[in-house]
Amino acid sequence: MVERIDSRPRSSTTTTAFVATLKRELILAYKRKHDVVNPFMFFLIVATLFPIGISPEPERLSLIAAGALWIAALLASLLAMDNLYRADYEDGSLEQMLLSPQPLYFMVLAKNIGHWLVSGLPVVLVSPLIAYMLSLPEGSYMTLFLTLLMGTPVLSLLGSIGVALTVGLGSRGLILAVITLPMSVPVLIAGTMAVTETQNGASLAGYLAIMGALLLGTLTLAPLASAAALRISVS
Amino acid sequence: MWTWFHQLGSPKWFYELTGRWLPWLVAAMSLLLLVGIVWALLFVPPDYQQGNTIRIMYIHVPFASISLAFFPLMAIAGTVTLVWKIKLADMIAKTAAPLGAWFTALALASGSIWGSDIWGTWWIWDGRLTSMLLQLFLLIGVISLRSALEDTDAAAKACAVLSIVGCINVFVIKYSVDWWNTLHQPASPITTSGEGPNGPEIWVPLVIMIFAIYLFFAVALILSTRNEILQRERRAQWVQDLVRTA
Repeated sequence: MVERIDSRPRSSTTTTAFVATLKRELILAYKRKHDVVNPFMFFLIVATLFPIGISPEPERLSLIAAGALWIAALLASLLAMDNLYRADYEDGSLEQMLLSPQPLYFMVLAKNIGHWLVSGLPVVLVSPLIAYMLSLPEGSYMTLFLTLLMGTPVLSLLGSIGVALTVGLGSRGLILAVITLPMSVPVLIAGTMAVTETQNGASLAGYLAIMGALLLGTLTLAPLASAAALRISVS
Repeated sequence: MWTWFHQLGSPKWFYELTGRWLPWLVAAMSLLLLVGIVWALLFVPPDYQQGNTIRIMYIHVPFASISLAFFPLMAIAGTVTLVWKIKLADMIAKTAAPLGAWFTALALASGSIWGSDIWGTWWIWDGRLTSMLLQLFLLIGVISLRSALEDTDAAAKACAVLSIVGCINVFVIKYSVDWWNTLHQPASPITTSGEGPNGPEIWVPLVIMIFAIYLFFAVALILSTRNEILQRERRAQWVQDLVRTA
């Protein structure tokens, strides 16, 4: 490991590294707008395919609306994940991050948060509109919005492990899906159940608690696995 | 303790030790399989509800119970690979993944055949079935990651990380799917613990079959790990001597 020449206390340098990585991620996203727009468009298009593929009748659509939105969000998140480390891997900045004396955990976390802010958050924000177009039953909008808000970061954090493991591979689209999608099942279950069960009169708090537990669990553990996977992939 | 640990990590030592064990394991496995299958197929009384279909249980339950062991096994082997960099652990992890996929697929297939008769359908989205299917997908993910990475060392570590993550995930999936299922489908048509209230004429052959399939698993794992050892250590002196004398 590189020795720290800096004499400032460690915590402040860790915070600096975290903020710098986050800022860099956001600036890069701003410079490459198509990377931000593509997953978002993908989400809209997949959501459009459901009424065409299943049925345009509002009664039938309202039954599948929550699930369709969740699956569209899941696929959009998977598609967006590919950008997370690839460019950094190709231009060598990932290697610099690995060499830096700051803990990789926080830089991975910052990259994940930055990535979610530009790829996950737009999907969450537009979801009520799409939900309306898919005739989601009245009164479920808040549930859907809140669960997506808490669930999409989990999808990003889990996907980050898969991307980190496969970042060195040439063609990895399919393998990433095979690794990541089965892991996303608990979030999908919690998210869609929250919507359907609150329609039946169950309280929202319990589902939000489970979602929060999944979020906190992955927020603390997934960057550890991602960091370990990055060290393996870049060696 | 540490010399023992390092000795265990030596592929050569493992190869010689298992070479001595294998005849005994195979003999015990064959005996138990023979007794178990003959007993289960010919002598177990037909179930009062399920008739002769109950005999599928003697294949299904052993396979299903052992396929749950694969992710913990791979996670432990992966941890050993990451922490102590013992090659043997990775060889076991590598051979365990396809075996696990086969065992899981067989558990699903035998369960499906059983279900086609008893439930009247080959597939339902029951919690247990769904979590097994997802475990199969996760195992296939580990296998395809292994085959995609060309460098043996990197593949070993990457698969170790994925196995550890997958092991945690399998448990979360198991609980979430059960929870999903129990709210939607309260009564499961049958339970695998159906043999509980029945007499020993039902469960003794089941126990024999479980031991037989566990031995089958051990033999299959040892055989494929031995192949892997020969493959990876092909440049070692002892392997070349072995090939020359054979």
